[in-house]
Amino acid sequence: MPTPQELLEALKQVKYPGFSRDIVAFGMIKDIEVGGTGVTVQLAPSTDNAEVVAQIRQEVIDTLTPLIRVPLEVVIQRPTTAPTRSKPELPGVQYVVAVASGKGGVGKSTVAVNLALALSAIGQRVGVLDADVYGPSVPLMLGIQERPRSTEDKRLIPITKYDLKVMSMGFLVPEGHAVVWRGPMIDKLLTEFIKNVEWGELDVLVVDLPPGTGDAQLTMVQKTPLSGGVIVTTPQDVALLDVRRGVKMFEEVHVPVLGVIENMSYHICSRCGHRAEIFSHGGGARMAEQFKVPFLGEIPLVKEIRTDGDNGTPLLVANPPPSPEPGVSPHCRAGRHAVRGKS
Amino acid sequence: MPNPILVTPIEEEKLLRILWDDDQLSDYPFVYLRGWCPCAVCQGHGGERHFIQVENPQLVSIGMVGNYALNPRWSDGHETGIYTFAYLRELNERRESQSENSTKG
Repeated sequence: MPTPQELLEALKQVKYPGFSRDIVAFGMIKDIEVGGTGVTVQLAPSTDNAEVVAQIRQEVIDTLTPLIRVPLEVVIQRPTTAPTRSKPELPGVQYVVAVASGKGGVGKSTVAVNLALALSAIGQRVGVLDADVYGPSVPLMLGIQERPRSTEDKRLIPITKYDLKVMSMGFLVPEGHAVVWRGPMIDKLLTEFIKNVEWGELDVLVVDLPPGTGDAQLTMVQKTPLSGGVIVTTPQDVALLDVRRGVKMFEEVHVPVLGVIENMSYHICSRCGHRAEIFSHGGGARMAEQFKVPFLGEIPLVKEIRTDGDNGTPLLVANPPPSPEPGVSPHCRAGRHAVRGKS
Repeated sequence: MPNPILVTPIEEEKLLRILWDDDQLSDYPFVYLRGWCPCAVCQGHGGERHFIQVENPQLVSIGMVGNYALNPRWSDGHETGIYTFAYLRELNERRESQSENSTKG
């Protein structure tokens, strides 16, 4: 009968699936017990991936079985100290998608709200986190006047409108008041929005980021495992410079850029049908090509998008797409990328 | 930029072992990792990074920061260091080139 030491030596042939490193080097074999009636191996795979665990387990069995003449038992232990890629902060949320732009006024919130509605239209359970603490505009766009209530253990209940679960700083300050805060307060509030809101089970949480690359962005990328970012821009050069910053920001924190949406691409005159490219044209597509990220589409400058938003009935509520076929609107396409991104 | 696949503290050897998705394996002795903590408490707000000597640091736990960094908690209560994956790779390269030099010398 081989000794535990000899068996451990043999297990050094078992590689971590897909890599040239063995499982013993990673302390995955916690204990080997050799008894007269059987051998017990305590295996701590330090990963949550069930497929990988099963594969390692099988290889351990295949390696040891020829060496022993007694039954073998492999006990899988839970990893103790190793970090996991699970999402302790948003346990019920599958994908967190941030809508960002380098500069303000490009229509981020309008796109974020309609993106959420487009995702909802293709059957996803969707939440909207308005992370623009200084200028929350999601409540207005969704026509929400009520204030969120809280549970008995002081967790905020998001407001449900058009099947979306929504949380925003706009719910917490009276209309007409300004939020005048330094960075650490932003961090605190957004952490609350992530940790202490009853988001429940969601397929996608759409985060409407404020413009720029500051405190709110940093909190979101540090406190949540963002699945991806969508960048909204207008077509002119000065806006595109800011896209660059947005892309760089996501790159730096390892968040895949799902794509670029060019907003206010052109305007069609309601009287004569002339197409005016007010902010020039095609910059978004060029930028997407340059950064090798998908170009999700162009949204024209249409009066109704603005009025619908101001009335609290966003475009996709006021004018639902004729069929929920994704691919018809940049919103749907962004939504599809978002859901596909990590699956 | 490579991502870590496995992050395992090896208590017996007092080091943190990381397997990266490009198949590189890096070992970070606790003393070394704690010493090069990049946080502002340890390093201040400017100038070159310097080594902080801590006697026998123990790793209490280590967590992910978003998708891009690791955040260790040490037995002395220190937990403000955010080690980006890029920084961890750099630390490993520096350590390997140092040990190469010392074996030559």
